[in-house]
Amino acid sequence: MSADDSFTNKEWQVIGRAIARLRASVMAVVFAMLGGGVLFLATAVLVVNATEGMPVGPTLSLLNNYFPGYSVTWPGAFIGLVYGAIVGGAAGYLLSYVYNLVVETRHPHMKKG
Amino acid sequence: MIVGGGPAGLTAAWDLARAGVAPIVLEKDSYVGGISRTVQYKGYRFDIGGHRFFTKVDQVNDWWMDVLKDEFLLRPRLSRIFYNDVFFDYPLKPVSALRSLGIIEAGLVGMSYLKAQLFPHPEEANLEQWVSNRFGYRLYSIFFKTYTEKVWGMKCTEIGADWAAQRIKNLDLKAAVKSMFISNRGSKKQQITTLIEQFHYPKFGPGQMWEKVRDLLGESGHPVQMGHDAQVIHMDGRRVVAVTAVDRDGNRVRHEGEHFISTMPIRELIQAMDPPPPPEVLAAANSLRYRDFLTVGLVVNKDKLFPDNWIYIHSDKVKVGRIQNFGNWSPFMIPEEGRSCIGLEYFVQEGDELWSAKDEDLIELGKKETDTLGLINAADVVDGVVIRQPKAYPVYDGVYKDSLATLKEYLQSVGNLHCVGRNGLHRYNNQDHSMLTAMYAAENILGKAKHDVWEVNLEEEYHEEKATDAKGATGERLVPQRVTLSPVQVLEDAFAKYDPVALGAAMAVVFGLGLFLATAILVVKGGPHMGTHLSLLNNYIPGYSVTWPGAFVGLILGAVGGFLNGWTMAVAINAVVTIHLSRLLKRLDNPAPYETMDLEV
Repeated sequence: MSADDSFTNKEWQVIGRAIARLRASVMAVVFAMLGGGVLFLATAVLVVNATEGMPVGPTLSLLNNYFPGYSVTWPGAFIGLVYGAIVGGAAGYLLSYVYNLVVETRHPHMKKG
Repeated sequence: MIVGGGPAGLTAAWDLARAGVAPIVLEKDSYVGGISRTVQYKGYRFDIGGHRFFTKVDQVNDWWMDVLKDEFLLRPRLSRIFYNDVFFDYPLKPVSALRSLGIIEAGLVGMSYLKAQLFPHPEEANLEQWVSNRFGYRLYSIFFKTYTEKVWGMKCTEIGADWAAQRIKNLDLKAAVKSMFISNRGSKKQQITTLIEQFHYPKFGPGQMWEKVRDLLGESGHPVQMGHDAQVIHMDGRRVVAVTAVDRDGNRVRHEGEHFISTMPIRELIQAMDPPPPPEVLAAANSLRYRDFLTVGLVVNKDKLFPDNWIYIHSDKVKVGRIQNFGNWSPFMIPEEGRSCIGLEYFVQEGDELWSAKDEDLIELGKKETDTLGLINAADVVDGVVIRQPKAYPVYDGVYKDSLATLKEYLQSVGNLHCVGRNGLHRYNNQDHSMLTAMYAAENILGKAKHDVWEVNLEEEYHEEKATDAKGATGERLVPQRVTLSPVQVLEDAFAKYDPVALGAAMAVVFGLGLFLATAILVVKGGPHMGTHLSLLNNYIPGYSVTWPGAFVGLILGAVGGFLNGWTMAVAINAVVTIHLSRLLKRLDNPAPYETMDLEV
């Protein structure tokens, strides 16, 4: 089957011009998983590789300036997981919300999706 | 000649008989009334689906009263929704619904509603999007999702939003809450769709009406030919000349007539024509689909089960969609005191697992499900019966409109053929509108009028409340239609590109705000060594520091960096999509359209 059996050139143009939308809920979940996962892993790696007598993760622990209760310890890894997920989720939601807003402003003639 | 002894066929027959015409009515089953029949089982009576005798059409109302006279009861109506072991008023009353949900669930419903108001789904293509944008997803999932999916056998995301828009267009939460405080008695048309609180019902169920008409026809010398299955419709050009029916003993009987009224499903009517109609007509008829229905009737050794006439079951733990309590429709439906009979309604497809299940298994399922719901103790069920109703609802799918247009054109060209009734017109009419089509057909045959029967009940609105000025036949019962995506739409979704400016802007907001907030928090906290690490960013962002001015520098330059990042990502993704699409087109052996595409990023 050749393509023009199914679509006219105009239809192909429509396909070529389609603009993607972002699903805010999906982006929020993905970013939340990424944010929480990355912070958990980063903390866990430092805790596992800790050398006795040496401070553990002095730089990463500075995050407690933003995340009260966070520390480079096992409990801290789980607290970081929650904080990372919250911040990541908010960032993902904001990102897609702004993106969709700009797309709708710039392409008002396009179908919503 | 009238094929079919349901409400439409018998209405036409009785109107013609009263006008001095001698109708011959063929009914293939051993009962009359079609889906409006009353099934009797050991003296217990079961109504197939629950038929309130309510109409906005005065002509039909007068007809009913004329036939059954004082055999009608005026019954109170109570129907509720059962969800999560709790009853909710139907139609929904917001305060009562929220109270029944409990504080936590009501709070979640409120938050979900707020979210829908602040961040509605940008698209309203399907029922889920339409309803959840107005009520919030949580309320939608409780009161709309499960039941709708049970009835129509498709997901709410596959049902077009226009159906919801038509069915519940006057109902929104803000309006409902407002209506509790502000009276709007003067504006009937603006009132939220409400259902009547009382209705007429024959003492012995809807079948009593049609059994009475059958008897009246018999007494007037025109008995309904029971067990006569019309198998061949003999055509002579664009005229019907005869119908050959096969009776219960296998005898073939040819009936000739001047006019033919058909209530047969259009698909069967077309397939029975001899010689067959043109291929495009046959193809259109074969494309029509139907939804089927089965009732599991249970006899319960207890007299007062629940006060409702029927209950909508919104739980997804069970397959049953609705439960009828026939004793509350009419006490005459129960032959013995101290007992009840209920009907568990399952919306099915002919041949599917439930439809094909053994009766005893279905009765067991019914007992188990009512027990699971906590409505009836399975041990109280003393007997059961299964009633299957094929072709209960005509299906309005993506192709039915075109098919019906083809069929209508052909059938209207057959001069002496009159199609009436729900399946005869493939229209989801209630009993009253089915009857009206038959009344119109009879008037056409008698030369009293020239009605276009196909035009009855085409208004795209269905309200059960009776407007004081409503005298005509209005209000089609709407059926949801599947959302159909064209191949172009599918490919649009698959190959849609990211808008680089939009992604850049979005990343700019996230990066800029993120850096601003990170800096501002440290500045507010203060301290001797505050922000020594974060300030290292000035290696990349000239002028940045962990100070208030630095926060604004971070906001601006973070936004610039974010924009460039987002823009580059979008361009890169688009390039990959474009390469993928071009490869696909080459595989389709058609490079030409690719050249015409707007591939700019």
